Amino acid sequence: MTVPVQISSNLLGAIGGVPRPDVDVVVDARDVNKYFGRLHVLKDVCIQVKRQETVVIIGPSGSGKTTFIRCINHLEKIQGGRIFVNGHLIGYRETPAVGRIGRLIAKVPVVGRPFRKPVGATKLVEDKEKNVALQRQEIGMVFQRFNLFPHMTALDNIIEAPIHVRGMDRDEAMVMGRALLERVGLAAKEKVYPNQLSGGQQQRIAIARALAMKPALMLFDEPTSALDPEMIGEVLEVMKELAREGMTMIVVSHEMGFAREAANRVVMMDDGVVVEEGSPAQVFGSPTQDRTKAFLSKIL
Amino acid sequence: MTSSLSSSRTRRALLAGCLMFVALSVSGCSSRADIQPQFFWDSLFHPSPALVNGIGLTLIISVIAQILGVILGVFAAMAKMAKFAPFRIASNLYIWFFRGTPLLVQLMFFVYGLPTVGLFRWPTIAFGPILIPAEILAGTIILGVNEGAYMAEIVRAGILSVDPGQTEASKSLGMKYGQTMRRIVLPQAARVIVPPLGNEFNNMLKTTSLLTVVSVFELYNTTSVAAGHNFRYFELFGAAAVWYLLMTTIWGFIQGWIERRLAKGTVLTSAGPTGPGWRGRFFGGQAESLGGH
Repeated sequence: MTVPVQISSNLLGAIGGVPRPDVDVVVDARDVNKYFGRLHVLKDVCIQVKRQETVVIIGPSGSGKTTFIRCINHLEKIQGGRIFVNGHLIGYRETPAVGRIGRLIAKVPVVGRPFRKPVGATKLVEDKEKNVALQRQEIGMVFQRFNLFPHMTALDNIIEAPIHVRGMDRDEAMVMGRALLERVGLAAKEKVYPNQLSGGQQQRIAIARALAMKPALMLFDEPTSALDPEMIGEVLEVMKELAREGMTMIVVSHEMGFAREAANRVVMMDDGVVVEEGSPAQVFGSPTQDRTKAFLSKIL
Repeated sequence: MTSSLSSSRTRRALLAGCLMFVALSVSGCSSRADIQPQFFWDSLFHPSPALVNGIGLTLIISVIAQILGVILGVFAAMAKMAKFAPFRIASNLYIWFFRGTPLLVQLMFFVYGLPTVGLFRWPTIAFGPILIPAEILAGTIILGVNEGAYMAEIVRAGILSVDPGQTEASKSLGMKYGQTMRRIVLPQAARVIVPPLGNEFNNMLKTTSLLTVVSVFELYNTTSVAAGHNFRYFELFGAAAVWYLLMTTIWGFIQGWIERRLAKGTVLTSAGPTGPGWRGRFFGGQAESLGGH
């Protein structure tokens, strides 16, 4: 089996920032199933996200939308299906269903019968932490509660991972960090600790921190839900700008204005199932499913 | 609190012990008690070379044993929270044994017990020009290992106090477990760890006196031997108490400084969770270590 080797070598190429125009689908989630204990939170979820596309996932709380995007960078394990990002299987390794010892036993007459599986049969095994960490470098994530590092200044938050994960030179990282701070409109705050910033400012720093890794994909987990109303706008502005620049984004959000303006596609989830998807105009203007209609009538 | 003010107050507080001794001496003079204050003052201001050596040993052994304890504690805490079961079991066994048996028993068992049956002999180690006698090496290591078991629980509490979102954020940036711990979680846990660590080190300074049983001539043992010669137990142990107080008091200030340094980025006002000032320490009735030895 050469599959695991192939995965890691391709990944290393992608990490160097090598453009892969041949891979047009950035996220390819196939039949994803996830359980919390006996609770079935994701039921055969299939979502494809193309390069430079912005997808907004909406749905009532408990519908599994946050869980789903946490699965994309393997913060949550999945029990079934596969998630590919840039063509790489996330979090798992495809291995022969029967191991080396099992194949030996399979050769033994009679005793070996249970070990005989179809040729090429595979099972998923959770990948090594090292490989998962490599995959996550490609995927930026912005959290509902910001999760900035409170013991570091704004600039240190941004340059932490480029220096200690990517091995970037410190001076180079600072130049890039300052440019990012400027981009999110917080150039004056580089020496300030997160606790001294407003929620909106913290979230913009968090976006800059994720962008500093030059990810191929950005995940936003309800980025404005923990913000005061007057701060939502400034964060959405940064996200719209990002979408205009062609970043591939998956956004879990209830901000319909943002979805209308920036999203290429809206996905409605309910009870662990993708209920409906389409352009914002379609989903918001003329939803076909009753559950979508019911949900939209509550929040619009 | 300005530094000049604080240092003058320190001096006053430290002198309180000496004054009490003087008062006792004076009241003793009027009765038939036989108190010779010059033994007390000599021990404080003209300590014998043996006493200086003992004080130095107490300090050095405490510091090294505590550092060893913190390092072991961090690893034991991480092992206790590991996914891999053998790590958890090993850590639990370690903590169970060293917290469950008296330090005195551990000292006698490992320092005298092991060599007498020929299982292990503690070596005398040459550290450059300095020779470290076997009993000091053994005593320091056992103090440190014992301390590690207590530190493990303290460190674990510290790690658990850090928001899980911090781990998720660093994972999502591509950090591995070790990096996440070293760069993100432990620096934040340190703020929670330092106050109980202060108690632990305070205890450690005093617990070194138990090394007497393995004939390490630290402060307590030296005093004890000297007092055995001249029967000036009152004066000499009074002085020893002042020496211990001096060390623990200085540590109190160092701890306060560390806590203020770690508070960066976490407090907006100066009166934050930086621990009690020295007044809090003296008059606030700060609880002794809950762990105890």
